[in-house]
Amino acid sequence: MASQDKSINTDVPEKDVFALHFLQSLSNLKTQNPSNSPDKTNDRVKKIKMAAYVSMARAAGGRRLWSRALLRRAASENNKIVRFPRRKRRVTWLSRRRCNRRAPVEEKAADRLRDLVPGGGEMETSKLMKETAHYIKCLSMQVKVMQCLVDGLSPK
Amino acid sequence: MSGRRSRSRQSSGTSRISEDQINDLIVKLQQLLPELRDSRRSDKVSAARVLQDTCNYIRNLHREVDDLSERLSELLANTDTAQAALIRSLLTQ
Repeated sequence: MASQDKSINTDVPEKDVFALHFLQSLSNLKTQNPSNSPDKTNDRVKKIKMAAYVSMARAAGGRRLWSRALLRRAASENNKIVRFPRRKRRVTWLSRRRCNRRAPVEEKAADRLRDLVPGGGEMETSKLMKETAHYIKCLSMQVKVMQCLVDGLSPK
Repeated sequence: MSGRRSRSRQSSGTSRISEDQINDLIVKLQQLLPELRDSRRSDKVSAARVLQDTCNYIRNLHREVDDLSERLSELLANTDTAQAALIRSLLTQ
């Protein structure tokens, strides 16, 4: 996982920071929601997922656009599942300018990326790519920590 | 909003992003993708391909999070007190 790239590698959060946030949310969830009915199970999966993304965004801090967008959305959706962004097409004139510069096929791919990275709909291309790099690093860290937890809790 | 402000600053032309900078970012992104990481600079991968693979990679990671959330939910539902103690001990580390 070691990448030598310093310029976008410096502020990727530590695993421990994410793990701490996540475990705290999990233990809150556990005390809040002890029931085992099928409804509740589904609900709990959503809550755990939400807790994972929110913990990741918290660990990443407020200097990233994606983390701010994710936290904003989580706050507004309250108990609902964390969905990835419906794109707001507020930057049409910018997109047109970009289209003149880049090949259309690249623009299409970049637009798909905008749907996947939180807050991506409002980023111009270079910002989008920087944020994407950071988002990917955080996301793969999140997956690793969650995998560790699952392994740790699984019956031997 | 600060986002809007920074955009208008950009449009004034003083901080326009050059083609080189974009290409540089594409290379950086490429290094993060398991499938493309090991390809050398000599075998050039197109920007569109890198962006496409980035999307796929993010989708895969999202799916893994879905899957792991489900498994965690099951595991936590069946957690006995010993395992709860494990979580607590992790928390206090």
